[in-house]
Amino acid sequence: MLNFFTPALVLLLQEGGRIAQMKQSALNPDLSKFLVIGALLFIIGVAGVLTRRNIIVIFMSIELILNAANLNFIAFSRYLQETGSANALAGQIFTVFVIVVAAAEAAIGLGIVIALYRNKETIWVDEIDLLKW
Amino acid sequence: MTLSGYEALFFWIFALAAIFAGLLTVMARNAVHSALFLISSLVSVAALFVLARAEFIAGVQILVYVGGVMVLFLFVIMLVNVGAEERGHEEIFNNQRQVAASLIFCLLLVGGVLYAVNKGYAGLQRLHPTTADTAAQQQSARESSYATSATAASKITKDAEGVGNSLYRYASLPFEIASVLLLVAIIGSVMLARTLRQEASADDLGPEVLKVEIVNDPELANLEPQSE
Repeated sequence: MLNFFTPALVLLLQEGGRIAQMKQSALNPDLSKFLVIGALLFIIGVAGVLTRRNIIVIFMSIELILNAANLNFIAFSRYLQETGSANALAGQIFTVFVIVVAAAEAAIGLGIVIALYRNKETIWVDEIDLLKW
Repeated sequence: MTLSGYEALFFWIFALAAIFAGLLTVMARNAVHSALFLISSLVSVAALFVLARAEFIAGVQILVYVGGVMVLFLFVIMLVNVGAEERGHEEIFNNQRQVAASLIFCLLLVGGVLYAVNKGYAGLQRLHPTTADTAAQQQSARESSYATSATAASKITKDAEGVGNSLYRYASLPFEIASVLLLVAIIGSVMLARTLRQEASADDLGPEVLKVEIVNDPELANLEPQSE
């Protein structure tokens, strides 16, 4: 009888070890935690782009997506600083350029929104269907 | 890289704040509320940048995003009419089938990305095994190399200097191209956002468009600069 339950007990103990491991990794967040946060922000942004009707909120969701990418760049930059890489700061440099492109995109996009609102009197993306046959 | 002690505590606080504020950005009914939640999400991510030792980028993030881009957003929200949304008789999401399909897609994306992160990070750990105490050692060695500030009250990192050095050493051409991009963006948005009258006074209106629009606004003809 005991023999029968031993594998289950071993499994249970392993599970307990796993919980302790998870607690340990939560107390010491590492690269993977940054990547998970970045992934969640990215997916929230994607959900915003796909579901919202307000074109301005869609632009804000795009900013959220770009920011998630920045978070990944920064996390990897720090990771490479510690593992010793030739150019560990490349991630931070790239982030500067992402921010520049995001600013340019926001300026142009909002200019388009204003022009669109003057002509169509709407900011709902499902009503802006001039190109739809 | 591992964070420990207070760094870990602040990491979780700001990570949860960033995700919560991001969710509220997508779900808020009022666009102004969305913008304010996005600002708090961006500030939380800037705090995460500080925890990842990118103080310069954190500063740039707050100056450019929060100080520049989000103010632009708020001005555009002010210029376009969002009253119907605010009063609550307009649906803020697309139709239900579209929302359901995109949520399913996002859930699949969450699963896929988290699986990829776990898998990839396990490989990275095999490549560069780091334990908490070696990380702490590296941290203290790093902190002892920091210069003391003039008042001797704090230590100063040289990370911003390193960013500047490698920005001009490895990325000076993209840096110049970025300045051209920003110039093009400024000119483009000014051109896009002109009114009909401004276009007419700059003589940028096509004759057919002018003929149509002059019915609504007879003053357009007077605005046209006379060619001599």
